[in-house]
This record gives sequence, C-alpha cells and structure tokens, in this order.
Amino acid sequence: MNVIEINKLTKFYGKARGIIDVSFNVEEGEIFGFIGPNGAGKSTTIRTLLSLIYPSSGSAKIFGKDCIQFGPEIKKEIGYLPSEVFYYDKMKVIDLLKYSASFYKKDCSKRIKELAEIMDLDLKKRIDDLSFGNKKKVGIVQGLLHEPKLIILDEPTSGLDPLMQQKFFELLEEENKKGATILLSSHVLNEVQRLCNRVAIIKEGKIIKLDTISSMKEDNYKKFKIELKSAVDKNYFNIDGVNKLEVKDKVISFMYRGNINTIIKKISAIEIVNVWIDELDLEEIFMHYYEKE
Amino acid sequence: MMAMNMFLHELKTNRKSTIIWTCSLVAVAVLFIALFSSVQNDIAGFKKYLENMPQYMKAAFDISVNYINTLEGFYSFAFTFVVLLGAIQTMNLGASIISKEVHDKTADFLLTKPVSRRAIMTAKLMAALTSIVITNAVYLIITCFAASIIKTNVSHMNKFFLISITLFFVQLIFLSLGVIVSVIVPKIKSVISVSLSIVFGFYIIGMLGSVVGEKAIRYISPLKYFDTTYIIKNTGYETSFTVLGAVIIIASIIASYLIYMKKDIHAV
Repeated sequence: MNVIEINKLTKFYGKARGIIDVSFNVEEGEIFGFIGPNGAGKSTTIRTLLSLIYPSSGSAKIFGKDCIQFGPEIKKEIGYLPSEVFYYDKMKVIDLLKYSASFYKKDCSKRIKELAEIMDLDLKKRIDDLSFGNKKKVGIVQGLLHEPKLIILDEPTSGLDPLMQQKFFELLEEENKKGATILLSSHVLNEVQRLCNRVAIIKEGKIIKLDTISSMKEDNYKKFKIELKSAVDKNYFNIDGVNKLEVKDKVISFMYRGNINTIIKKISAIEIVNVWIDELDLEEIFMHYYEKE
Repeated sequence: MMAMNMFLHELKTNRKSTIIWTCSLVAVAVLFIALFSSVQNDIAGFKKYLENMPQYMKAAFDISVNYINTLEGFYSFAFTFVVLLGAIQTMNLGASIISKEVHDKTADFLLTKPVSRRAIMTAKLMAALTSIVITNAVYLIITCFAASIIKTNVSHMNKFFLISITLFFVQLIFLSLGVIVSVIVPKIKSVISVSLSIVFGFYIIGMLGSVVGEKAIRYISPLKYFDTTYIIKNTGYETSFTVLGAVIIIASIIASYLIYMKKDIHAV
C-alpha cells in the first residue's frame, strides 16, 4: 500500500519555479529518502503534502486521501519536523508539548516523558532559554509524541550533535519497526544512505532519479584502483565503460560500468601488486547525477 | 465546535496586553470623570474659555461647547482619546492574529496540526473577541460606577452608557480591519507600528474632516462613526454609520477567512 502518492505535482511561486511534475510514491513501512541540494524543491514538495502551500497543478494523496481536501484529517497521523524549529518563546517546554498533544485525541503524556528522556531534554525550561540544538530536540519530541503513522522530516539533523543524531536515528528506526513510514528529506547523504531503502533525487524542481539505494549502487560505476609492478601503456584501460581514467606513475584509478568480467580479464592479463574495487557511495552517485548536464 | 485548546492558548497569549490596555482605557476615562467633578462648580468659566477658542481647534478635538457643562459632554471630549486608544488596542490584536504566527515563525507548528485553517481563524477571532468583551465590560462597569457617584440623573446615565458602549463597536471595526491587514500583508515586521500608523491615519483624516467641515470624510474614518454630540442630542446612533460599520466588520471577517484558507504559508 502506498502511504504517499504524488502525482505530477507542480508549484510555481508567481513565475518562479518551485517544483515541476513531481511524481513518486512512498510505500507503507519504508524509509524513503528525498535528496537534492538547497532550493531544488524538497521543502516545496513537503509543504504541499502538509497543505501549507497549495499546488499549481497535480495532486498528492496521503493514506489514500487528497492531502488538501482531507488535510486536517490526515494530519492526525502525521508527525512533522522542519529544518528550523520555532515555538512560542515564552512557553515552557512541557507546556508547549502539552499544547501540541492537545491537538491529538489521545493521551500522550507517557510518550512525552519517554521521548524527553531519550533525547535528554529538560522539560521545565522556557523555550527562549534553549539553544538551537535543544529547540531541535523539542521539535523531535513534538513530532513524535502522538506516535504518527507517517513521519515527515525536512533536513532534520541540522543543529544536533553527533551523539543526538545517533539517538535520533535509533529512535526513527524504532518507530519504523513499529510500522511508521518515514519520508526523510536531506542533503546529508550519509544519513540518507544509513536509513533509507529508496530515494528520489530532485534537481531544479524535477525528479531525476527514483530507485533503491542498493540497485543504484549496483548498476552504477565501480571505483577501481590498481597498483602495478611496472608501468603500462596509458591507454591500456581506456576501454568502453571506463571513466575518469587517471594514471599516476604505477597507480591507475578509474570508474567502470559494464560487464565486470571484461575488466577483470584486463586486470588479470597484467602483473599487479594490489587492487581495490569499491562501490560508489550515495554522495558520489548523487554528484554523478548532478554533474551529468 | 470550537477548538478549545487553541482558544485558551490565544486567550492566555492576549491576557497581559488585555489587562494593560483595559487599565489604561479605564484610567483615562476615570481621570476625566474625576476632573469633571472638581471643575463642575467652575464650569461656566471653563465654558467661556472654550468659547473663545478658535473654531478649528474645537472642531479638531470634537469639543461641543454646548454640552461641556454636562458630564456626558465633558466625558465626550475625553472619550475621543479613549476610542483612539481602544482602536489601537484592537487593531493590534487583530493584526497580530495571523501575522504573529508568521513573524514568530510558529505557523508551521500550528498548521501541521490536525486542524483546519477555518478552525484556527475561528479560535483566534473568538479569543480576540473575548478580550474585547472583557475590556468593555470592565470599562463600562467602572466608568458607569464612577459617573453614578458624581451624577445620579438616570436619563443622563442612559446617554453616558450609549456613548461608552460605542467603544465596543469601534473596537469591533478595528479588530476586523486588523485581521484583514494581517492576512493580506505577507509579512508584518512590527505589528504595533502598522496598527499605530493606520489608526492615526484614520484619526488625522477624521480630524481634517471636522476642521474643513466636510461631512463625507466621516465615512472614511471609523473613529468618527459614532458622533458623541449626535448621541447626546438624539439618545441614539446615526443609522447610515451604524450600518456601514456593520458592513465593514462582516465583509472584512468573511474576506479574511477566504484569503487565509487559500493562502500559501511560506517557509521561514
């Protein structure tokens, strides 16, 4: 079942491009990564899903219901964490969380305590006395306290120290195990790589790639580095599928995509000292898509 | 059904400013009522002094010399300032309804909760209305009480009450104007400066209208819709202005709902 279905969603701000024909689905129970640099349209997409802004054309469904028409209803089961969190400054953390909980028709007080403990958050402080990182923690607790079925995160980790990031990811993985679907928008690719099964890459308002991380890695380039006993002709490895060939003395490095046997035969035909074969990480794949044009 | 949680939250947010404004309005009115009781005996001299004032001055400050020796006439003079303050209070209240969430960047928090924008607007409007009702209830009780101490003539008390309650009507008009400003203007940096300039703008327009004696100008400035001299003379309100006031309130509130429900809430 699809928790999110986005169908040709388009948003223009006057004449300025927001997003164009964005379509993808997020299945129940998956952690879906939504990646792209700042200004590519990640937040525009998310804000439309949350009916904070209205699409110019196209539509989106959450839990099978139109996200604009049934906005208030579907938001009962959505937890949202924006990249920058702002709350009523003069409130105490606990009062803000209680206010937040009062919108959901269930008792969240136990969950608030649990989450505050995990995130090491002082509930008695006033919001305006909190540091940026601590405000972010309030955001996390606020987004998760009603145990939502869909968690939408827009650049969630900025401002969190590595330790808290770790705890936060564990928390998300736990929620996911309990059945929550997660949409994670980010430009920090190693966090996407760590958490997500599938990703969509957005560039200048358009989705340019939609796939699982594993298959993206599979049918993508592999990195080769070969140390030779003695120098060979520079063009020895210059065959179909080889890219970014670099020869430095006795060390040759390149990227390769194609039949793996072909390249292995090429390697085995010469005398080598050592060989390293690596998959590209998401960042390199991402850069690859971005540099294409 | 109204969302009580938002209503109570808004009420709490407005609490401090409501108390301060209410106290200020009451203080101005009570001061003048007290002043009247002390100048009462020498009112003839005061009247003479006013008669010698240039006509435009009297017009500008809405001084009706004929009635200055009565409590309601004397009070009317002060009431202009009470209304001015009250207009600022509610313009501010109305303008901050939506724009405060935008300015403090808390709109994302509220709008991602399972509530419709209509419910948000209703809760906020009802909270603002409650603040105004409290302000006016306190104002009426204290000023009527103060007036009754120095004057017990019942028919005059009636006029006194009719004048005082126009504060409520003017405040409703400015509340609705404030709300529409807050949904139309994309981002208000300082709510108080916007409300001050709009209210004073209306005040100056109204004052110029009185000075040049152009009646039509009164329609532009809601501060002038309820003419105290007319109320004292006729113990009632001018129909055309009352209707116009009601139309402004209803139209701005309906328009505010419609605009707010269709509005894009942009990222911070």
